[in-house]
Amino acid sequence: MDTNLTKSELSKKNKLIFYVVIGVVLACAPHIMPNNYWLRIYTMSGLYVMLALGLNVVAGFAGLLDLGYVAFFGIGGYMFAFLSSSQFNIHLPFPLVLPIAAFITMGFGFALGSTSMRLKGDYLAIVTLAFAQIFKLLLLNLDRPINITGGVNGIFNFDPINLFGFKIISPVAYSYLIWFSAIVVVLGSFRIKRSRYGRGWEAIREDELAAEVMGINTIWMKLMAFAGGAFIAGATGALFASFQDSVFPNNFDFPQLVIAYCMVILGGLGNIVGVILGAVLLSILPEFLREYGAYRMMSYGLILIVLMALRPQGIMGEIGFLVRGRKEPDKDEAGLLKASTDLYYDEKERMLGADRKRYSKGAHVILELRDVTQNFGGLIAVNNLSLRLFEREILSIIGPNGSGKTTMFNLISGIYPPSSGHISVEGSGLTGLKPHQVVKAGIARTFQNLRLFSKMTVLDNAKVAQFCRTKSGPLSILFHLPLHRQEEAQTERRAKEILGLFGARLTGYRFDQKAIFLSFANRRRLEIARAISTNAKVLMLDEPSAGMNPQETLEITNFIKTLRDVYGYTIVLIEHKLNVVKTISDRVIALDYGRKIAEGTYEEVANNEKVIQAYLGRKRH
Amino acid sequence: MDVYLQQLTQQLVNGLTLGSIYALIAIGYTMVYGILFMLNFAHGEVYMIGGFAGWWALHLLSRNNVPIMNAAIVISLMLIIAMGVSGLLGMTIERFAYRPLRKAPRMNLLLSALGVSIFLQNMVLTYQGAEIRFFHVSSLIPESIRVFHIGNVVFSFMRILVIFITFMLMALLTVMVKKTKVGKAMRATAQDTEAAAFMGVDVDRIIVFVFLIGSALGGAAGTLVGLLFTQVDYYVGFQAGLKGFTAAVLGGIGNIFGAMMGGIILGLVEALATTFFSAAYKDVVAFVILILVLIFRPWGLMGEKVPEKV
Repeated sequence: MDTNLTKSELSKKNKLIFYVVIGVVLACAPHIMPNNYWLRIYTMSGLYVMLALGLNVVAGFAGLLDLGYVAFFGIGGYMFAFLSSSQFNIHLPFPLVLPIAAFITMGFGFALGSTSMRLKGDYLAIVTLAFAQIFKLLLLNLDRPINITGGVNGIFNFDPINLFGFKIISPVAYSYLIWFSAIVVVLGSFRIKRSRYGRGWEAIREDELAAEVMGINTIWMKLMAFAGGAFIAGATGALFASFQDSVFPNNFDFPQLVIAYCMVILGGLGNIVGVILGAVLLSILPEFLREYGAYRMMSYGLILIVLMALRPQGIMGEIGFLVRGRKEPDKDEAGLLKASTDLYYDEKERMLGADRKRYSKGAHVILELRDVTQNFGGLIAVNNLSLRLFEREILSIIGPNGSGKTTMFNLISGIYPPSSGHISVEGSGLTGLKPHQVVKAGIARTFQNLRLFSKMTVLDNAKVAQFCRTKSGPLSILFHLPLHRQEEAQTERRAKEILGLFGARLTGYRFDQKAIFLSFANRRRLEIARAISTNAKVLMLDEPSAGMNPQETLEITNFIKTLRDVYGYTIVLIEHKLNVVKTISDRVIALDYGRKIAEGTYEEVANNEKVIQAYLGRKRH
Repeated sequence: MDVYLQQLTQQLVNGLTLGSIYALIAIGYTMVYGILFMLNFAHGEVYMIGGFAGWWALHLLSRNNVPIMNAAIVISLMLIIAMGVSGLLGMTIERFAYRPLRKAPRMNLLLSALGVSIFLQNMVLTYQGAEIRFFHVSSLIPESIRVFHIGNVVFSFMRILVIFITFMLMALLTVMVKKTKVGKAMRATAQDTEAAAFMGVDVDRIIVFVFLIGSALGGAAGTLVGLLFTQVDYYVGFQAGLKGFTAAVLGGIGNIFGAMMGGIILGLVEALATTFFSAAYKDVVAFVILILVLIFRPWGLMGEKVPEKV
């Protein structure tokens, strides 16, 4: 404990020193530049840092391939041009123009982002690219019949920036203004990345469907990513316009987009420090290659190809000494290897403590399916299925492969709406709700073929599931308002508590381990922990023991029972291992060809003629 | 009114010519997408380099802008060289930029394709310069048959030739895909790469073959555009690529016949947009259509909706 304390104090001190150094460097830099030419490059690199970090929100955090990003940069620039020049004789003060440009651009980001409701991946990329093309064509052609954009000649001669009496005219003043803005964007990026928004985006980037099923409103979050990126791009565009004292369609063309992408990818998608370095590097490096000017864009192309093939995670990703506090797997503090079964038995007694209150099946119906049918273009996967799930019941669904078990889960969790029929939870309808709304209504699930957010840490996997229970918005996050701080603390505590249910298997150093490095059984456990972390009352477990060895199966069986007995969860599970079903089920339902063929206790179902036929085939007469 | 109708007919012919070229480009996109589910961003540059190859062929086969051989042979050689160069280029791109990424996330593949596009475009800029290259086609076709009239509508011989060549190429491709063994293997690979591999199809070779055919057709389109509009420069690939992709999407991406139809529809729509709006906004119309189709009918005007697998 003591060492921990000094450690955090030390890092606080280090941090302080780090900030001071950065501050001194930024304060001195404009004055030590050898000439105005280099000062200009220095200022431009600040603009590129902003531009790249804005792109990093959309493409890096949320993983959306936005090829229209450069148009946002342009909208910001032209907004500034419209509002503080003689073009329309509007001369608004800069402190007003900057937010107007940023917010209007954000509006465009929202609009373009709304296409992401229907489109994914390549299609989204193409639509955004077409948007950028339309934007550029408009810039080029809207000088006739009335002159709006100035066509190829652009717009120039803007009002000088006047910041509350300080006139920004000299190159040094510009470099301070732009780098100050860049620092603001950097800080904002860090804050948003470490928030529920950052985690939500990361989850969407990893596995959009799983994110939605874990309670994240993916559509809204994607819109927010577009809007956030556009906001930054708009502000950057306005600053750029003022700095260049002119705007031309060529400033906002495809090459600029490629440069911004190269910066983000070189730094590593989503990696803030990397992106900053990437932006600075790619702003300065080409200047050394100036004699080979024509090769510059060619090298950008090569950078993309080579990086994608060799280091898609960027220059900064996964470099050993930069990854903090990585510990040897499966060793405790003393460096001894711990056997997982030991860990389990350590915890077992505490978990099943005798003095706890025990829960059992109640009489209240919590989830009800009425005449639910799912028709996949002729294939009837679920046929007129009705079932009731009682409070604190453990209900097992069995049936041969293709009998509609997982489809039933998909229908309940809202991945697709049923062709007909009705699903309700505690009396209120669930039919037609989106998966994240179903989670909010208290029903969470796991996946048969594991859909963890594998590049996120164990702790973040559990935290991200709290998304639907928290509500702090961008303002709260960016300004660290009490709501955000309180929710973060709560989320952290709750996540650790839930991971603690599995003994030491998912705790301690494992908190910071990426999910992909976990053993298979631990990944299954983490899926369950993630489902619990949504604060659901009903857990739907899709083959929780698949791929586990007998010892692990026994353990997970007991664990599921504990979840009900000790913590009072209602559980539906799909399971093929009949001894698991036998041990824990209050009730068993057998499906075949999407129909319910038997229902009752394990013994009743296991001895049912139809069930035996479904599994073993018809008896020969 | 009569003038208007005449102009409309004229534009429809122009639209058909342009559309058949879009169709050739679209085929390359659609074939690659059908198998690899990737958007081959570099396809536009392959088309552009095809145009340059055709220009060089014509340039080397001419003295003082007069071809040294029979015009039919010159045009054939131009096409063969352009298709060869583009086809090889497509294979090379596949080998070095896409194959290492076949198991990587789709976004990486798309970004790599973007890189190839930027690289090729600027490579041409570096070695061929930014100036426009003109195809001196005037001496290829005798004065007497260069244009002819049907009623009041003027037809240029070159347009008819281009339409003829594109339709020949598309017919050849259709026969190949439908009737030959390699065509069957291609269709199988497009449906299910793994299953095709298990059935003994050498998937890698099919993919290379697809890049070869698609890129060769793109190269042919580049040269045909050169013959038609008599110019090529390093930047034409970007726009043409987008148009080709739009055509592929219109027809339902992955569907070869759809790509052909999509190209012709796009060409006609652009021709109409030129007639009714202005030439400056024909590209805007094309991109707006692209966005609308992607949003409301992403499976294309002709394709079928396939449910997403969970």
